[in-house]
Amino acid sequence: MSDLVLLLPQLCILSAALLVLIYNTIFRKSTKLTILTLIAVVGSFCSIASAIFLFISQSPTVTIFGDQLVVDGSSLFFSVIISSVTLLVSIASYNYIKPLQNQAEYYSLLLLAAAGMGLMASANSLVIAFVAMELASLPSYALVTYLKNNEGSTESGLKYFLIGALSSAIFVYGSSLIYGATGSLGFTAISESILNTPSLSGLLGIGILMVIGGLAFKTTSVPFHFWAPDAYEGAISPVSAFISSASKAAGFILAFRILIEAFPLDVVSSIGLDWALAIQILAVLTMTLGNFAAALQENVKRMLAYSSIGHAGYVLIGLAALSGSQDTLVIGASMMHLMIYGFMNTGAFLFIALAEHWNVGPTFKDYRGLGSKAPLVSIAMTVFLFSLAGLPTGGGFLTKYVLFMAAVGAGFWWLAAIGAINSALSLYFYTRLVKSLWVDPPISDLNISSKGIPVGIYVAILIAAVVTILSLPFFSPFADFAMAAANILIS
Amino acid sequence: MVPISYYILLSAAIFSIGLFGVLTRRNALMFLISIELMLNAANLNFVAFSTLHGNLTGQVFSLFILALAAAEVAVGIGIILVLQRNFSGIDVTKAVTLRW
Repeated sequence: MSDLVLLLPQLCILSAALLVLIYNTIFRKSTKLTILTLIAVVGSFCSIASAIFLFISQSPTVTIFGDQLVVDGSSLFFSVIISSVTLLVSIASYNYIKPLQNQAEYYSLLLLAAAGMGLMASANSLVIAFVAMELASLPSYALVTYLKNNEGSTESGLKYFLIGALSSAIFVYGSSLIYGATGSLGFTAISESILNTPSLSGLLGIGILMVIGGLAFKTTSVPFHFWAPDAYEGAISPVSAFISSASKAAGFILAFRILIEAFPLDVVSSIGLDWALAIQILAVLTMTLGNFAAALQENVKRMLAYSSIGHAGYVLIGLAALSGSQDTLVIGASMMHLMIYGFMNTGAFLFIALAEHWNVGPTFKDYRGLGSKAPLVSIAMTVFLFSLAGLPTGGGFLTKYVLFMAAVGAGFWWLAAIGAINSALSLYFYTRLVKSLWVDPPISDLNISSKGIPVGIYVAILIAAVVTILSLPFFSPFADFAMAAANILIS
Repeated sequence: MVPISYYILLSAAIFSIGLFGVLTRRNALMFLISIELMLNAANLNFVAFSTLHGNLTGQVFSLFILALAAAEVAVGIGIILVLQRNFSGIDVTKAVTLRW
């Protein structure tokens, strides 16, 4: 019984998903969108509340169901991120999917994917990691293809599915090699048996590389990032917001847990396998490629997609700097960044959703003068963009600062320097959108008031904006939460 | 008993055939079949290593993989069906409306 209580954050979301389906089955003809949204919002809110409650009341680390799942500070921290993104996206979807079909299926897929991501945060063996990744991925494929009569949506779903299926096959083959080398699939058991039987280290090395490849897909890191721009552009914007924020956070906690607990650097480097170098290369490539490609985009959503690849690169710095002396600080900084990123990136994508709702075109030019027509949300968008760039309009400034300083402190000044150069470059394309919003002359024939004010999207954007802004003056609760989570993960 | 290296070689060969299929085939259904090959290469490894190590963990995981592969194919076939309707064909190189 107490085991199930520990899983409350995931169970809340899962039961909301099933409730949506049951409700839709019983009231087939008279399904109301308001009730569907309400179930999703209550489910994700309960999940946030129970995660915070468990974090305050729970002893540091508990493993349940025969060590298959672990509930600790970091799993609860990421449950909060994932559920917050789910909450924002559920609220915003209310207006967005109103004219569309299959609303109940949309919400249940969204919540099922969120439950899978929550499980990824708690996975303590490669089996659960794989099952949870699939539970998160399969509904996401369907969500991206949600507009089934739209060519762009179909194409992006196809690309997402093809690369996702390929990377999960690579991940599972990698796990099979790790199992062959160690004889076990639990994370702690793997690290113990690497120490005891250092034979077959060749198999183990290939296995680790392939598992990193599978994780790179989830975190949109090079070399498995190709799907991200297409999937984000073709999917409906609330889904892009969900996948780019929640799915990435879930991928990162799984990467942290696998690499830190199953393959601790001091253990695997004793048999000559040093994954830190691979991650350092990936971090540099990911942030440079993401930011340079973002600078070349004309399409706003694609720009945000590449910027989200760039942010994956910043977070990877945390893993790459692990061989230094400040393990807790660098991982904690990465977690902080993912938390703030979850709010500012979701907010930015939801602003795009709002623009799509108003039939604003996809490129920078089409956003001209939106600032004078919808000042409130445009201010919010400006806050998101500058915070993503690392200017002090939101917590993004502090998290980036802590992250780069931690990397310098751990002896990786060059990683921090490349990160800082990329941040400076990112200012160019974020400012370009801000300029379109506020400085450029408005497009005269665009009439947004005729479509009414979409309350749900407004509320979601404003919540995200308030959290982003408040995380600047009230940074210490976020930082303490992240550091506590990182501390448990490292020790 | 057959040495474990034979199993590893066989599964590596199957995995490579699957990967080759993924990279070269243009038909989306062939792509799915290639993914199945890659997953089953992992299954083969799991079962062989399970016997080698004398525990059942690997065999149980291979059951999970079988179930998940079926679920993945279900979603994949759905997406390919939609692809057929929108692009009147299942050639994966035809769906190129999104470009940077």
